[in-house]
Amino acid sequence: MSSSLELLAEIRQSSERRPFAVLKLAEPLLNTRGVSRAGDDAWLVYEQVFVSAIDEGQIELAKAVLVILRTRFPSSQRVKRLYGMINEAVGHPDEAKTIYKEMLETDETNILASKRLIALLKSYGHIGETVKQLVAYLDIHNNDFEAWLELSNLYLTQNLYPQAAFCMEEVIMQQPANHYFHLCYAEISYSMGNFDLALKEYLRVVELSTDNVRGFYGIKLVADRIRDIRAKPKRDQNARIDDAPQPATLDRLSQLATERLVAAYNGANDTCKKTAEEWLKA
Amino acid sequence: MSEHTVSSQAYTKAVLHCAKYPWATVQGLFLTETKDNKIRYIDAIPLSHTWTQLTPMFDIALQQAQIYAASKNLSVGGYYVAYEDPNNIQLSASSALLAKAVLAINSNAVAFVIDAKHLAPESVRSGLIPFVSVDAQWKEQAGAFGSDKKGGKGSEFVLENNRVLVTAKKLIAERAEAAIHDFDEHLDDVSLDWLQNPLLNEQIRTA
Repeated sequence: MSSSLELLAEIRQSSERRPFAVLKLAEPLLNTRGVSRAGDDAWLVYEQVFVSAIDEGQIELAKAVLVILRTRFPSSQRVKRLYGMINEAVGHPDEAKTIYKEMLETDETNILASKRLIALLKSYGHIGETVKQLVAYLDIHNNDFEAWLELSNLYLTQNLYPQAAFCMEEVIMQQPANHYFHLCYAEISYSMGNFDLALKEYLRVVELSTDNVRGFYGIKLVADRIRDIRAKPKRDQNARIDDAPQPATLDRLSQLATERLVAAYNGANDTCKKTAEEWLKA
Repeated sequence: MSEHTVSSQAYTKAVLHCAKYPWATVQGLFLTETKDNKIRYIDAIPLSHTWTQLTPMFDIALQQAQIYAASKNLSVGGYYVAYEDPNNIQLSASSALLAKAVLAINSNAVAFVIDAKHLAPESVRSGLIPFVSVDAQWKEQAGAFGSDKKGGKGSEFVLENNRVLVTAKKLIAERAEAAIHDFDEHLDDVSLDWLQNPLLNEQIRTA
């Protein structure tokens, strides 16, 4: 019983979206009142179950959990937003919007409500309006790197690569040691043709995260691409390689990436290993 | 134009990829076999569920998928995508570019958008909407897979048999999507076989 609670806590900690797993773990606890063993964390568990329930379309379960939370916290804004979310889940966006707007009237700095309003707009496909609201939000809360991340994603869906790159730069300024963000920035740069920058960022990734396969693949891909462009400069007009390293360095980087990838692929099955090795040779 | 037939394995794997990441845009490739001007979609290779507009890992995956396909005497003949917004059933600009990369290696390549509305248990048709490249533009082929718009060019697209939908629905109900691993997942753990997903093939075969 307690290990279920531990697992649920781990999922909360990692912020992974695993609604099916959460419900599977929580169901026996709910039936036998095992949630109360979590002490003060019980309310976090209920909130977690609520969100997973609406994710899985289990509205009746969500409603039941909501009643439990409302009973314990009758005037909570945090619980009120869950009412907004369940309205969204059953397709009542106007009711949800009203709830979030009420929350903002009570307290205009309520971040939960601002975020839910933006998420609501996004889920109904009003991307232009979503971007506007998110930009306004970031004007006030510009150290919310997750919001910058969300804005970057929105720009990518609209193929606005330079704007997406700018957002990732903000994220990296706030979270410079997180290799995942450098990875994203490297891939946006590559997609824009900024190969010199992409290479730098992929190198940063493998600096920050040992034996990062995706990082080494990126290094190999970009190093070889820069070499090709230098050999036939007229073909790729949009490519930026001015800050790229010297050919000798590129060769060494490409070689290093190949070695690390071959080492990593010792853990792969034959099919994937052979395919990767073929690719590395080409 | 030739007849296009989609097998249980190809369809089910594409749909399970969607089921594993219902909140994200997912994309992948189809492997095809051509005999007597008829194209059979034999298998699906799931690619990604994050940063799906970005190109570097797509380029690598496409190249590796080609190597794998050649080893099985198959071709990379299709691209599929299912968007985060289920109301979006047009090929987006970035998807069009990625599909174009597939077209560059196979002039018969078809791009498919998966319409999530047809993945529900009560649906009686496939969720695949084919787009064929005509004059460098991807044009939707209406009437595919037995849909209502009769007589469109899409009528050349069929499911292999009436077991295809049944199999896909059965595996979704059984939550088989946990067993499908795409290239994104492989990059985090190279022991995951994104090219074949053999355990899943077994489940599909015996469904």
